[in-house]
Amino acid sequence: MAAEWIEQITGSFEDKKRWRQYKARKKQLPASYRTAIDGIERYLMYAGSIVKGDVFLQMLEDLADLIERAAVDGTPIRDIVGDDPVDFADTFIQNYSDGQWINKERKRLTDAIDQAADDEA
Amino acid sequence: MGKQMTEMLKGTLEGIVLATLAVQPAYGYEITARLREQGFADIAEGTVYALLVRIEQRGLVDVAKVPSEKGPPRKVYSLNAQGNEYLDEFWKAWNFLTERIERLNHDTEHPQEEGD
Repeated sequence: MAAEWIEQITGSFEDKKRWRQYKARKKQLPASYRTAIDGIERYLMYAGSIVKGDVFLQMLEDLADLIERAAVDGTPIRDIVGDDPVDFADTFIQNYSDGQWINKERKRLTDAIDQAADDEA
Repeated sequence: MGKQMTEMLKGTLEGIVLATLAVQPAYGYEITARLREQGFADIAEGTVYALLVRIEQRGLVDVAKVPSEKGPPRKVYSLNAQGNEYLDEFWKAWNFLTERIERLNHDTEHPQEEGD
C-alpha cells in the first residue's frame, strides 16, 4: 500500500530495477558492441516516443538479448544491423507501438472517420 | 541487393521465416544463416530478430530456452498451430499475387495477343 503511493511520486521501483540491470548488462559487453547498443538505444529513445516505462524497458531488454548473443557468437556488428541501421531500428521499434503516445492520436483519427462515415450513411 | 528487392523482401520476410520454421525449429542465428545459404545474402540478423520478437508477441511461435555452451540460453522458435494457419494464409496471398503479376508480365510482353 505504502509502496503504491510512493511509486506514484518516484516512478515504478520495478522499472528502476530493470533499468539498472539493463545498464549492468551493457557494461559487460565488448567495447564495439557497447558502442553499437548505445547508438541504437539513443535512437530508440528519440524515435520510439514510448511513454510506457515497462514497454520501453521491454524493448531495451530485447535489444540487450540480441546484442549479448551476437557478442558471444562473434557476429560482426554490420551483420546484426545491416547496411541501414536506421531501417533496422525502425523495424525493431514497430514491435513496441503499444507504448507509443501517437496511438492516442491514431485512435482519435480512426474514431473521427468512423463518425464521418456513419453520418454519411 | 537493390532497393526494390529490399522493399519486396520486407513484405514477405515474415512468411519466409515462418516457412523456414515449418521445416524445422531454429534459433535466430540459425534462421539468418539458413536464409543466407538460400541466397538472401544481405539479410541483417537484427531484422530477423525484430521479426521473431513480433511473431512471438502475436503467438505464432512457441519458444523454448535451450542452454548454450557459451553465454545466455538460446531461444529456439517453433511454429505452433496458430502459426501454421497464418502460414497457410501467407501462401494463399502469395499465390494470388504471383498469379496476377505473372499475368501482367505476360500481357506486357505479348501485347498483340490482347483481346484474343
